[in-house]
Formats: sequence, structure tokens, C-alpha cells
Amino acid sequence: MDTVCAGWSVSDERRATSDAEPCSLYVHVPVCRSKCRYCGFYSVPADGVDAGRLVDGLLRELDRHDGVEFSTAYIGGGSPTALPAGELVRLAGAVGQRAPRVAEFTVECNPGQVDAGLLTALRAVGVNRISFGAQSFLERELGLLGRKHSVAQIAAAVAMARRAGFENVGLDLIFAIPGSTLADWRTSLEAAIELGAEHVSAYGLSFEAGTPFEAERRAGRLAPVDEELDRAMYEWTIDRLARAGLEQYEISNFAKPGFECRHNLGYWANRPYVGVGPAAASYRTEGAAPGGRRIENDANVERYLDAVEYGRAAPSQAHMVNGDDAVCETAVLNLRRRAGIDLAEFRRRTGHDAMRTFAGPIGRYGGLGLIEVTDRAVRLTRRALPIADTILCDFAALE
Amino acid sequence: MNIRNIRNFSIVAHIDHGKSTLADRMLELTGTITERQAKDQILDSMDIERERGITIKASAVTMEYTHEGQTYMLNLIDTPGHVDFGYEVSRALAACEGALLVVDATQGIQAQTLANAYLATEAGAEILSVINKVDLAAAQPELVAEEIEHVLGIRRNECFHISAKSGLGVQELLDAVCMLLPPPTDRRDEPPRALIFDSQYDDYRGVICYVRVFSGTLKTRQRIRLMGTGFAYQITELGKFKPDMRPVDQLGCGEVGYVIANIRDLANVRIGDTITDDARPAPDALKGYKPPMQMVFSDFYPGNNTEYPRLRAAFDKLALNDASFTFVPQNSQALGFGFRCGFLGLLHMEIIQERLERENDIDVVQTAPTVSYEILLRDGTVKRIDAPSELPDRSNIEEIREPFVKLEIITMNDTIGGIMKLAEARRCKLIKTDYLSPTRVMMEYKAPLAEIVYDFYDLIKGISHGYATMDYEFTGFEAGDLVKIDILVNGTPVEALSLIVHRSNAEPRGRKLITKLRKSIPRHQFEIPLQVAIGGKIIARETIKAYRKDVTAKLYGGDVTRKMKVLKKQKEGKKRMKSIGSVQIPQEAFMSVLDNSD
Repeated sequence: MDTVCAGWSVSDERRATSDAEPCSLYVHVPVCRSKCRYCGFYSVPADGVDAGRLVDGLLRELDRHDGVEFSTAYIGGGSPTALPAGELVRLAGAVGQRAPRVAEFTVECNPGQVDAGLLTALRAVGVNRISFGAQSFLERELGLLGRKHSVAQIAAAVAMARRAGFENVGLDLIFAIPGSTLADWRTSLEAAIELGAEHVSAYGLSFEAGTPFEAERRAGRLAPVDEELDRAMYEWTIDRLARAGLEQYEISNFAKPGFECRHNLGYWANRPYVGVGPAAASYRTEGAAPGGRRIENDANVERYLDAVEYGRAAPSQAHMVNGDDAVCETAVLNLRRRAGIDLAEFRRRTGHDAMRTFAGPIGRYGGLGLIEVTDRAVRLTRRALPIADTILCDFAALE
Repeated sequence: MNIRNIRNFSIVAHIDHGKSTLADRMLELTGTITERQAKDQILDSMDIERERGITIKASAVTMEYTHEGQTYMLNLIDTPGHVDFGYEVSRALAACEGALLVVDATQGIQAQTLANAYLATEAGAEILSVINKVDLAAAQPELVAEEIEHVLGIRRNECFHISAKSGLGVQELLDAVCMLLPPPTDRRDEPPRALIFDSQYDDYRGVICYVRVFSGTLKTRQRIRLMGTGFAYQITELGKFKPDMRPVDQLGCGEVGYVIANIRDLANVRIGDTITDDARPAPDALKGYKPPMQMVFSDFYPGNNTEYPRLRAAFDKLALNDASFTFVPQNSQALGFGFRCGFLGLLHMEIIQERLERENDIDVVQTAPTVSYEILLRDGTVKRIDAPSELPDRSNIEEIREPFVKLEIITMNDTIGGIMKLAEARRCKLIKTDYLSPTRVMMEYKAPLAEIVYDFYDLIKGISHGYATMDYEFTGFEAGDLVKIDILVNGTPVEALSLIVHRSNAEPRGRKLITKLRKSIPRHQFEIPLQVAIGGKIIARETIKAYRKDVTAKLYGGDVTRKMKVLKKQKEGKKRMKSIGSVQIPQEAFMSVLDNSD
């Protein structure tokens, strides 16, 4: 579920004229061939699940959203490529049929689990974007992370994707891996640039609850990198990718012009999305009113399949997001974008004047040079990015 | 009751020497309470008192006792036993003709024993000395009697040996109270005068005044006047404490009881005031009490600003039955609206704080306590200040005077060295040492109150393994080489963090303070310099490093709910802090001014 679902860019929003908001579709494939040691997302061993039954189940759940028109589609995981190629292609094909006019259709791929045939078939059923979980270009780091592919396989996978006709390829990378130096990170980032990816997601490693990494950190066997180094890596990422033509458009995301991930932009615009699959999340809104319902499917493949196979809804937890909370969520999510809060868009979507509703934090952080205001937008300054959470928290609740 | 058969007395003792147990035993022996009713330490009605094993508020009880065929009315007026409450002890003693001075046979004379004995003598009360716990294996009643004779001049063969716990000797003590303590002076024909020695507020009945009638008689439905404040009321109920409130028709000369007169305004009743007849008033009031000297001040702010009115009401109530506590509104740039409160000492302050939180359920933020200073200005006027922030401009100051106390410490001779070292570091001057016995020493110091007010008692307890006791008495203000330390946070002076210290201590104190602040103020988005300044000159600096990296790497559809929760919590944390400019300072930082430890 690395680069999860998608959305629209700010300019797309202007084209949305009907009451029904553009809605994106995320399909979660909750299986992996092995579990990476830093990953806190829900997945189960691929060999323990009947892949055909799983794909059938996902499609059954998708059927329940018949009336929804999707603007983007994204198949993520887990590892979609941990499915037998035929099943993945069957899944992608059905999603493509269900969402025929999407501008962007992404499948997340493990570089060690693809071949020319699979990639060609995915392209043929309408997939137009591949996101590779590369993570690092150092074998030592891949080993520490628990990745099962090699450095060489990353380059090979990108080349295969190109030959299969993909003109939009993204690479996910992780920095601030324990033991990593600035030089190590540069090696990985340069390699990603060298491969000509249209999109790079660069994530500072975080220690997630319940992961082997977190357990080892607590036991003192794994030390997070120094805060200064973490920051230096991040700063360098922003500068270096910009020089390579990949502009930062969100805290952890960089793209060549026009290749920003539309699906993910939907999340940061706080637009609705449908998530299908165990542990997938949905956000459903009604009409133009701010607020809505956030639904999270239970993280349990067996119970999920038992339910959907009988035509029932996936077991899930839901909670209402009231108007005020929706205003705050929209602000926090918007501010992750380099474009920040588009004041007109914000007013249209929430009914609030962001400048007035968040006058306190905007004033405070404006004075500190951490927020900048133009006549159209409010955004974090470059200096604010590495410490964004210390600022965003002041937008998380109304004062 | 014949006035010659009335005895009004107090029990004075060091904490834990058995005052409350003795009171309980007397209540039982006189049949005032049955054993079944006997709740341990019945006089200590407040939770805090029972928990801390000390009596804070004077309380009274009337007992009847038959001695040699005659019935006596014994009025026991309870007193607080702690160093801070000398004022309340003397208040209680003013209503008595006699005092029982209780000393623990295993502990001997303690600093408070001495202080209490002085107070009783000052009040003109007849003293009976009582050695308690004589049945314990560790008891050394003969040695203690010797100490009493040596220090207080009460002959050793005049000491009563008792065990309040078992009741041994208590009957004899009651007989002695009847035989040896004097009765009240007979002034029943004069206009009524009753001393208000305590009060309580009852939500239904208004103020309940605890009184001792010195002349004349009080009757129900009588119109009375409070001589100090001038307010007049009609008595709706008179009564005695037995120990629960029992209404009576009248309180005669020499008697002790309560007066209820539908007094709704707490401010109208002053402890120490005299009640007289409204139509036929006494020509002058009873001596009353000199106002208590508050020596320790601290600002209290409601944890939540909307609680200000509730805090005010709570203080009103506390002040009613604690005349030694004062409060005035205060407005701080850092902490908003609150009150500057004056206390007799540190324990007194802690007790008020606890009662506030316990009885009124109000969270308070408190600034570091400070003592009061006298400032001699260039123009010759003298100004009293009770917060460093009130210090006038340096150019107008001729001298700063700080309060000094006579400090008495009693300890074992093998811990003298440690205590002397501490006292010296705190600018205390040794006046004399006196051996109470071959192993026990009393040291008398002249000490600056500011140096002993916060942690000194805890420290000498530590040095002496809990053995040493101390007491102090204000002696006067004296000029000293005192300077104000200003703390600048991010370049802005924060008044609530200022302190006045002796120049010799200024730099180390300032350094310690900013080291503590560095640990208690969280990191911000920017670097925060912390500076110590004396008279505008920076003498020390620390820096709180800025956040360098704090950002959630991934925030996609499934992460929103969880992440918003985390961010909200992060914001909540900031709420409990006070903003000084763009810096958020947590409450505990304001208390670090207090902490003089390493």
C-alpha cells in the first residue's frame, strides 16, 4: 500500500462540474511472498491464499460499487505481483473494464516479481502506470530491509516496463535506513535518476508498530539515523531531484511535469475514494456537504472472503467525519502538497475561508517564515517541509 | 455551670508526638464520645489532616468531667502542630488559660516543642508538661524530663508521664487540668465580648463562628455586632461542640462554642474579631490577633481560564477558615488572570493547593514561591514587594532588604557537621549551639528566609536521617547584596521566571535554572536561546535546539484517520503550555525556578 490510491490535480478539479465528485478506486492485494522487515501494512503469505478465490472476492466487492464512476484506479498491496501473473492480469483487466475512462491506472510491482509477459499483458488491459518498489540501490540495504530482489533486477524491471510500452514509471525509495550514510543515499537516488523514472517517491524510514524493525529498535539493536543526517538526506533529495527535472509536488513525492500521481493527489485533495480488499480504506461523501464517512475494511482475508462470497459487504469499521473535522483534514492533507491549500478550491469544498478559519496558525507560522501566503494559496515553505508535522498539528483541530 | 469549674486549654505538641491521640482518649474518658463512636483522631476532620497526620485548623470540643465530686466543663481547643502554623497556635492559645505541652518520650524536645512552649508563655497560658508514649520500649522519660527542665525550666518532677494510646496516666492528667489550670476570669456582669478564634462556612447555614466568651453572656436571638467590621446580625443558633454541634440557649462567660447568625458574606467575619451586643456594646474590643505575617508568596492561575470565577469562589471559602491565607487578583503576561497568594510558609502553601484541588476540583498552575522583600527607594520611601517582577527600576533602588529569621534546629550531635555545611551554603549565621543532652544539640541560626523556605527542611531531614527538626521565627528585614536575575526566552524577558538572589549565588543559580528550562521546554521549529541576565547584562546562555526532522513520510487514504488523531494529540500537548512570544512554555518550566537542586 505504498503509493496507494489516486486522485486529481488541482486543475482537474476545475473540470468537475457535476455534484458527484471525482472518485478514485483502490484495490488492495493483501498478499506478499515474504514480509519486509520495516513494513507495517497488512498482508498475508501469498502461498496461503487461493489467488483465484481472492481475485474473485475483490471483484465481487467491486461489483457492490456499481453506480460509482471512477476517475483513477490503483492496484496496490501487499504485493500485487505476488499473485500468479494470470490472476493479476485477470484482476487488472476486470478493473479496467469497470473503470474504462480513467486517466491513470497504476499497478504496484515488485521488481523481482515481473517479466516482460506480465508487463505487456498489464499494458494491454489498460494499465498505464507502473510503480516499482525499488527502495534502495544498495544490496546491503535491500538485505537489511528484507527485500528479496536485487539491485540489478530494478534496472531490468524498468527496462522491461519501457519495452512493454509504459511511459509512466515510478520508483519508490527509502532513505534514512539504519546505518546509511549520505553517500549511500546519493548512490540510490542517482541510480533512480539514471533509470529515467518519471516519478519518485522518497520516504524517510519510519519505525512502525508491530514490525521487526520496531522490535529491534526497542531492543537497541537497530538505531535510527541521526536527525541531522535524516534531514540532510531529505534536503538533498529535494534539490537533486529538482535538478533532474523531478519537481517535488508533495512531501515525499517528485515527478516530471505532468507525471504527478493523479490517484494520490485525490487523497491530498481529500476527495472521495473507494477501497476494495481486506484492510482497504474508503472515504465516501454525499453531495457538496463537507464531511463524510471513513470506512476501513477489517484486516482479515478469510473473513473478508467469507463475507463477499455470500454477497455481503466486507466486514469493516466506519466512522463519521463531521464538518469541522473535514475542514481540518482537508487543510492538513492539502498542506502536504507543495501547492498547498488552493483558497478557491478550499472554499468550494468546505465552505470555509482558510485564511480566516486558520488565521491563528497561518499568522504564527507566517511570522516564522514557515508558511507563505499568496492571493490564491497558503502553503508550507521549503524550510517547513522537514518539520511539517510540528506545523500541521495546529491545523488538525479548530482553535 | 460555675465559672470556677470551667477550664479552657490547648494541647501543643510537635507532629506525631501524640496530641490527637491524647485528645481522643480524653474524649473517651469524659464520656464525650463512646469507644464505639471513637473514630481515631476525631479532631482532625479534614482529609488532608488525617493523611498528613497533622492538625491544620484549630477545632474545639467541650467535655464534662467529674473531679472530687464536682462537675467541670473542659473546653479543649486544638492547635496545628507544624512550623508554619505558629500564628494559628497563638490564636488558639489566646482563647485558653492553660496548655498541655506534649513531648514524645522516645523523641525528646523538638524544634516545634520549643516554639509552642514560647507561644504558650507569651499568651500567658499556664503550662503542664506531659511526657507521652512512656510505655514504649524506646521511651526515655527521665532523660526527656531532664531536657524539659534544662530547656524550659519546668521541674522534672512536675512532668506527667502518660501513654495516650493505652490511656495510662490520662485520668490523672484530667484531674491535674481541673486542679492546676486556672479558671477563666469572672466578668459575667460586663457587656458581652466573645473572641472569634476560628470559623467555617456551611452552605446551608452560612458562617459558623467558633467563639470563646470572655465577658457577659451570649443568647439565642440576641442582636450582635462584630466590632471590627461593624456588621450586625441576629443569633439564630448557639451551641457547643460535643464533639458534634449541640445547640444551647446561651453561652456564658468563660465558655467555648459556636455562633450562627445567618452571615452569608464570608468577608464580614474576621478571625480575631470580637462579638458584642448590638444594643449594649462593650466599650472596646478584645485584643484580637495581630494580622499574620505572610512570608511566602506564589501566584495561582486556573489551569483553564474559564475557571477563574470558580477559583475566586474557592479562595473566598478557604480564606474564611484560614485567616493566615491571603489572595489578590493578578494578571500575568504569561499565565493570564489569577491570584497572588500569601502564605505563612511552604507547607501552608502546599496544603492550600491540595485543598483547592481536593475540595473544589480545580486544577491550578502555580508559580514558584518567593519571599517578600522591602525596597528602600532613592527618594527615601520603603516599598514592600512580594514578587521579583515588582522590583522597581534599578536606578531608583537604594537597597533591597530581605526577611531574616531566627532558625532553631535540633538534631543528634553526629549530624551537626552536615547540617552546618548546608546552613553555611545557605548564608545562615550560627548564633549558638546548646547541648540539650549529651547527644542532642540545638543550633540557633540567623538565616535569610529565602534560603530556607523551599527545600531546606527536606534537606536537613535527609542529612539527619529524619531526625532533625526545625522551626523559625521572623525577626526583621535586612539589606543584602541582592540582585534580580532575569530569564530571557528567545530574547524576551519572562517575568514569571525572574528571581531575586544573593549576588554570590546569582550566576550558579541562573545557570542551573536555564539548564532545567532547557530540559523542560520542548523543541520548537526554531532554535530558542535561553539567557540569564543581571541588570541587563547577559551572564549565561543555553540553547534549545530546533526540530530538525519531524514529518510523516506517507499519508495516503488508509492513513488519514490515524494520522489526524496523532496530530490532534500533538496539538493538545501544546494547549497545556503558555505562549511567550512564539515559544510555548509548559507549566512545569515555571516551577523549575524553585528547584535549587542539581
